[in-house]
Amino acid sequence: MHSAKPRHDFEPKIIAFVCTWCTYAGADLAGTSRMQYPSNVRVLKFPCTGRIDPVFIIKAFQQGADGILVSGCHPGDCHYIAGNYHARRRFAAFRKLLEFIGVDLNRIQFSWVSAAEGGKWVEVVTDLTERVRAMGPMVEFKDLILEEQWSGGLNNPELQAVYEAM
Amino acid sequence: MQKQITEANLRLLIDSLLLKGQRVVGPRQSGTMVLYEPLASASDLVTDELPRRSIKEAFFPVCEDLLEYRKEGQQIELKDIDPARFPETVLFGVRPCDAAAVPVLDAVFSWDYKDQFFLARRAKTTIIGLACTTADDACFCTAVGLSPNDPKGSDLLLTPLVGGGFLVESQSEKGLSFLEAWKDRFSEPDDTKPLPLAQPAATPFDLKKIKAWLDDHFEDPAWDSIATRCVGCGACAFVCPACHCFDIVDEGSEKAGKRRKFWDACGFSKFTNHASGHNPRDLQPKRYRNRIMHKFKYYDDKFGQTLCTGCGRCIRVCPVGIDIAGVLEEIEKK
Amino acid sequence: MIQTIDISSYSVITDAIRSEARRILSDSTVSAVIGYTAGRRKGSTQPIVITTADEADKLLFSAACLNDLVVYLTKAKKDVPKSGRIGIVVKGCDLKAVIGLLGESQLKRENLYLIGIPCSGVLGSLLKPSAELTTKTIASKCCECTDRLPVGCDFVPAVTPAPLPDLEKRYANEISQLEAMTPSERWEFWKEQFSKCIKCYACRQVCPFCFCEQCLCDRNRPQMVEQTPRPSGNTAWHLVRAMHLAGRCAGCGECERVCPMDIPLNLLNRKMAKELKELFNSEAGFEVRDTGPLTSYREDDDQSFIR
Repeated sequence: MHSAKPRHDFEPKIIAFVCTWCTYAGADLAGTSRMQYPSNVRVLKFPCTGRIDPVFIIKAFQQGADGILVSGCHPGDCHYIAGNYHARRRFAAFRKLLEFIGVDLNRIQFSWVSAAEGGKWVEVVTDLTERVRAMGPMVEFKDLILEEQWSGGLNNPELQAVYEAM
Repeated sequence: MQKQITEANLRLLIDSLLLKGQRVVGPRQSGTMVLYEPLASASDLVTDELPRRSIKEAFFPVCEDLLEYRKEGQQIELKDIDPARFPETVLFGVRPCDAAAVPVLDAVFSWDYKDQFFLARRAKTTIIGLACTTADDACFCTAVGLSPNDPKGSDLLLTPLVGGGFLVESQSEKGLSFLEAWKDRFSEPDDTKPLPLAQPAATPFDLKKIKAWLDDHFEDPAWDSIATRCVGCGACAFVCPACHCFDIVDEGSEKAGKRRKFWDACGFSKFTNHASGHNPRDLQPKRYRNRIMHKFKYYDDKFGQTLCTGCGRCIRVCPVGIDIAGVLEEIEKK
Repeated sequence: MIQTIDISSYSVITDAIRSEARRILSDSTVSAVIGYTAGRRKGSTQPIVITTADEADKLLFSAACLNDLVVYLTKAKKDVPKSGRIGIVVKGCDLKAVIGLLGESQLKRENLYLIGIPCSGVLGSLLKPSAELTTKTIASKCCECTDRLPVGCDFVPAVTPAPLPDLEKRYANEISQLEAMTPSERWEFWKEQFSKCIKCYACRQVCPFCFCEQCLCDRNRPQMVEQTPRPSGNTAWHLVRAMHLAGRCAGCGECERVCPMDIPLNLLNRKMAKELKELFNSEAGFEVRDTGPLTSYREDDDQSFIR
């Protein structure tokens, strides 16, 4: 099956919100095992997925993220006992809200990756990166930043250039 | 100078302005509301409803950029917004309660600091007012010394005539030049009578008496009974043609961003919050007291004018039904 | 076909509220009663806090009594006197806010004297306060209401509201319509709505559940949501608020009613309520509980969306 033509000139920015104890360690393992995976991902380390506030995801999209990954310990393995259970509920609700607003949920991936699953980390990141690459840049939030709503349609090409570079 | 114009010629005039690339802003349907917005054609105009917001945003936008900054390495580059870029605008169909607020804003924005962002836009704007033939029970322009055909603030005032068409009266140099520039559209006035003007039910307030009470009753239990119900949003200040408080923030990243000026309201709980944490207006009745004081005392003390034009928008949008005309009635009775 | 709604019971309710308020204030059962009183404009009402029995005749109930008075009980309104027991007039929708706040330890039941209203509906907007209550002017929340006779109150006027005609479930329909759109159509819809926002915060200020001493969106260290009223910051603001209310919002609809720019905010809250009911079988405002769907969990919660 002929898949969508990948845009080689587009390198998606993937922001990964991960927990320290499982997924971060799993990513570390992937690194020490010299596994190759796309360097598009920027990892943000949190003590626990339970700490991840939906507002961080909104901010990441506003700052230019094209794809988001949220990853933590498997249920039952949370270092703080129940943080990932709370995160599971929170994100089940939040993704419904994002979908309702019109965000394509294919840009957001949730996963459980344990400290031993270096291979799974590589799979998850690679799949997400390629999926988002095929979707193209996430223009929705960036367009909002460019919207000049109130100043009477002021057209400022210099500012446009600054945000394009973002 | 007095002229007359038919409805058809007025629409042609607006369409001609638009064809020339002139920005024309007037009341038009915007979703569920009528707002003063740029018109795409004369047929966009809606003249039977008061727009939800006022025209102050033509000179004092809800949010505007003041400057941009960019950082490359150790170099910081600042770029001012060039006032020459502000577009020339014709504001059309402006209600007298909105137009009358403009001289009031002019006084503040050219007082101890000449606000170029306001003044540059102001200089490039021509205000064409439209007298009101209908009013609802929230209108009270007549109670604060204005009227449905008050020319204050307008460059040209249009008064609807019986059978369609408008009487056109110039009020300023700008108005005269506009008439001159478009003289083919206008005709000499004939005897057509104007339509009966709107009659807001409100009786005139004795503003001096109200001010005298305000001068002496900064502390008074009346403020609690009037304003405990206020929930502290900014709806009244934002829809008001005369309210003009603003805040300035820097937004962006450390690499690039903008400094912005945007609307603020004295009703917000943190409006007078000091860096120390002390807040002199810590309870809502104190904040609402400030609103009334500013409009009917402080502004009079400083500029000899009232900071209210009786448009009634605050009454219509207040979430808890605070009625400023009712408050003034209550104060006047004391 | 537009039908008028029978609100003849409202004058009986008004009399009952007045006599009850007079009674509980004279015998000091309560120190104050929060209710509705007439405004200057014909048909308009406004909230009032009365503290003496002779003010009881100021109280009334009509189709223009839209406000959710429960906001005055929260710690966001420090200037409302809160000593002793307070009486408050609540419709079924407002009572749900009381139940929610009791669960969150913001209110104590023994400090409240609840005057419940057998409600036949209220207007959707006060732009024309003297408008007749019809199937067209009735509030959208009333169309889906199941709590016309509030339960668990300290006093309810002995009135049975007339049965209501069939009302189209507006929120449910609008949500279905949006769900049927493509993501980019939905984005265009909400982008247009959020662009209208002028950050007046009326939605937050009238909400009984927005009682934080300092709202997340008023903080700048760190600044998670921009302050200026621009489409980007506005979208973040409304998303954050919808998430902070998820599982707590009981659908009084005041946020949408008070928005001066006509943004359909309650759609977001109703959508979240719908999702939480489907996902976790949880509905706010029916029983006093100290945890909600997002502050509790089950080990077997759905994780089909997690890889």
